[in-house]
Formats: sequence, C-alpha cells, structure tokens
Amino acid sequence: MKNQWIEFYKGVVTVKAYGKGIERFINSLTRDKIHIWNVRSHGTSAITFQMNLRDAKKIRKYARDSECKLEFQQREGIPFLAIRMLRNSGFLIGAFLFLVVITLLSNMVWGIEIKGANPATEYKIQKELEAMGVKTGKLQFFIDNVEAIQKGLTNNVKEITWVGVELKGTTYHLQVVEKNEPEKIEALGPQHLVAKKKAIIENMFVEEGQPVVSIHDRVVPGQLLVSGLVGKEEEPEVVSAKGEVFGETWYKSTVTLPINSTFQVFNGNEKEKHYLEIGSWKIPIWGFGKIEFKEHEKEENKKSLRFLSWNLPLSYQNETFRERQTITRTYTNKEAVEVAKEMARQDIKSLLDDNAKIKGEKVLHQSADNGKVTLSIHFQIIENIAQGQPFTQGDAE
Amino acid sequence: MAKKWGTVLRSWMTKNMELPQDVMMDLPRITMIGQIHIYIENHRGLLSFSDKEIRLLLKQGQLLVKGKAFVIKTIMPEEIMLEGKIDQVTYLPD
Repeated sequence: MKNQWIEFYKGVVTVKAYGKGIERFINSLTRDKIHIWNVRSHGTSAITFQMNLRDAKKIRKYARDSECKLEFQQREGIPFLAIRMLRNSGFLIGAFLFLVVITLLSNMVWGIEIKGANPATEYKIQKELEAMGVKTGKLQFFIDNVEAIQKGLTNNVKEITWVGVELKGTTYHLQVVEKNEPEKIEALGPQHLVAKKKAIIENMFVEEGQPVVSIHDRVVPGQLLVSGLVGKEEEPEVVSAKGEVFGETWYKSTVTLPINSTFQVFNGNEKEKHYLEIGSWKIPIWGFGKIEFKEHEKEENKKSLRFLSWNLPLSYQNETFRERQTITRTYTNKEAVEVAKEMARQDIKSLLDDNAKIKGEKVLHQSADNGKVTLSIHFQIIENIAQGQPFTQGDAE
Repeated sequence: MAKKWGTVLRSWMTKNMELPQDVMMDLPRITMIGQIHIYIENHRGLLSFSDKEIRLLLKQGQLLVKGKAFVIKTIMPEEIMLEGKIDQVTYLPD
C-alpha cells in the first residue's frame, strides 16, 4: 500500500461512479495501472473511490468506454489547499499590512514634551528641534540619537544651560534648565563708590554723586571715588552714587609653552560598516573587509525597531571607524613667543569684565630651555574699578 | 490434448522440484487476517462488487467472498485487498 501522505501532497479526489458497467470500469482502470483505493459500494450500481489528482483527468475515457457516469466529490490535499489560500490571500495580505502599519506607527515620533522652559524658550527649542528633524510624524529611524539631540540643543539654544532628552516610547521628553540671568539689583540705598583695586584713574563717568578723585590720581583699594553725599557740607543730601570709573590696573601673567607637542587627530580617513542585527546575529549588509587603519576610533550607532511597547530583536547598526594620527607640532622660538603672548592675552581677558581693554603689554622675562618657552608678561589694563559701598545715614555724619 | 499435457507437466514439476504452486499453476494466493482483511493475489479481474459480496475472476473458475461492509482498500491488476467483515469464501466452478 502506498503512503497516504505522499498522495495527500499530490492531491486526492473522491469520485463517484454509477452506471451498469462499474466492475468493467474498475477492471480497465487497474489494467492500465491507475491506482484507486477505498472503493465502497453504494447500492447496486454506484461506487465511490479515491484516486490521485493526476490520474483524475484520464478516467473520463474509461468511463465512456464502460458506460459509467462520473461525479467528482471531495477534493483534498495540498494543491486544493493552495488554491483556497490564494483565493483568500486578501486576508493574509491584510494581516501582513496591519503588522507593517503597526510597526511603522510604533517607530514614529508622536509627541515632544518640553518641561521647565518659558514659552519663548520653548518656541526656540521647538524651532531648533524642527531644524534637526525631530518632528511629530517623523520616523525615529532617521533621527539622531538622544545624545546628539541633547548636544545640539545645548549648543544652539543659548537660553538653556542644560537639557535632558529622553525617549519614552514614541514621545520625546525634554527637561530644560534655563539660564537665569540674575536681575541687576538697583542699588537704591545710599552708597559711595570705592576703588576695587590699585589703579590710576583714566576716565570717569559719574551719573550721580560727588566725585572726590580726578583723572591721573592714584588710588588704593577701598579709597573713596565718588561720594554719595552731595550738596553743602553742613546739610548734605544723600544719594546713591552711580557711575563708572575706569582706571589703569596692572597684571602679571606667566605662560609656559612647550615647543614640541603631540596631538591625536583624525585625518579624515574613515570607513563605515552597516549591519542588520537579528537577535544576537549580526549580518553585514554594507562595508566589508578589514579595517586597515593603524589606530582608529570606533563609533557605534544602533537603531532598533519597535513594535507597540516592545523592542523587536531587530536592529540596524552602523559602525564608523575613523583613522587616528599622532601629529607633532613644532614651533620655532619666534612662533612660540607669539603663541605664548596670545595665550597670555586670552588668559587675562578671561579674568576681566567684558568692557575691559588691554592698553599695553610688556614682556618682562623670556626664556627657552628644556624645550619650553616661558614668558612673563606685564599687562596694562583699563577697567572699571568702581564698586558700590552702601552706607547708612549714621555713618555719614 | 496439448493443453492437458502442459498441465500435467507443470503439476509434475511443482511436485518434484518443490516450486511454489501459486506461481507455477496460476492459482490464487489468499491471505486472511481474522475476519477483517482478505488479500487475494493472482486474480483476473472484478466481476461484481457490492458491500455484501464480491466476485473475482480466476484463471480457473471464480471466487466469491461474502460478508458485510466491504471496502476495497487497494486494487491492482493481480492483487486486491478487501476490508470488512468476511463471512465466507467460496470457489465457484466455471
């Protein structure tokens, strides 16, 4: 007996035959090696049997020869299942599309929540985000990772000191800390202006108060510059002295600069590799071959696909290898001195207010030994030396 | 006369050379498993079939099987396998 399963794969039909010569019909079938099985009789002149789908087309001829009528009843097996599946393929396609759409929607940005910013800053942040491509309706796949967004925002929006970006599902949560520029306290109480440091007065802009020093005067810290008492000496009027007193001050700065210095720089050569990661299985899709850089830095960027609230074990990974090079920079003595001077200037400026100016500089000492240049520079600076000093009525009398 | 000589020769050969008789003499070989299965080799075709009775043509004579609920499990040019409840197996002369 043949294996029923193999027949099932090829397709099985149940045939009903009726008429006078059914025995003759069966005999002629068997003679021609057409395989039939499960022959059952129904009444006197009708039988049913099962046969191969492939043989089914041939039996009409035998039926005609033996005066039998045929009726095909059941169709079973893979070929018929396939036809049915094809007919119902709409359902399959629909189910598949549904999954695709859900996956697509799960990977979109659905909301951006900004907390801790006032409306003006919020608007600026929104603009900046839009410029970076973070918008509702965008696919997360094409958006930079959270760290990059955070960095971009902190760099480009001046009003914020820090921003925390978090991606929760399909929503970006931004926690903003704004720069709170302290409001200038209007010193309304009575005050004098006194010198902050040792200086020679260069210029004075007194808005209110009685100046007690004049240009080219030499002052020491704490010395009264502008008095808050105006009017006659017997009955003075108390005001809040205001104004700017620019004096020449002196700073000394010592800078040491090595003549030879080594740096690690990227020389622009890079190689990218792309992978598709399924579970823990990494399939390279682009960028093959070995990395031939002697020294390199690797940057990994992984983007995983989400489905509703789950992360699918399917992700795209991008690896960038950048070649690193060690560069030795050598200054000549002259260059080194120039660079050192510039460094000293920057150094001084960082200590001073914005409106301070460098009036003059003088190299006091210069030496080059052990591969280092050491400079001592004396700076003359013009800066505001006035400082408010409140006083009470009692003090003044 | 010639046909008779042939039969005699074959019968003699099977007796003396210990050859299986069904092969030599075109006799049916019938295997039965209890009442439920009957397996007949060397038949010469189906004469009639119903669920209570099956008649097969043999080289000499006919074979009649009676019973209930007959189903032909397989049928091949010289073999037939029958399933059901077999009550009797009868040889009928020509």
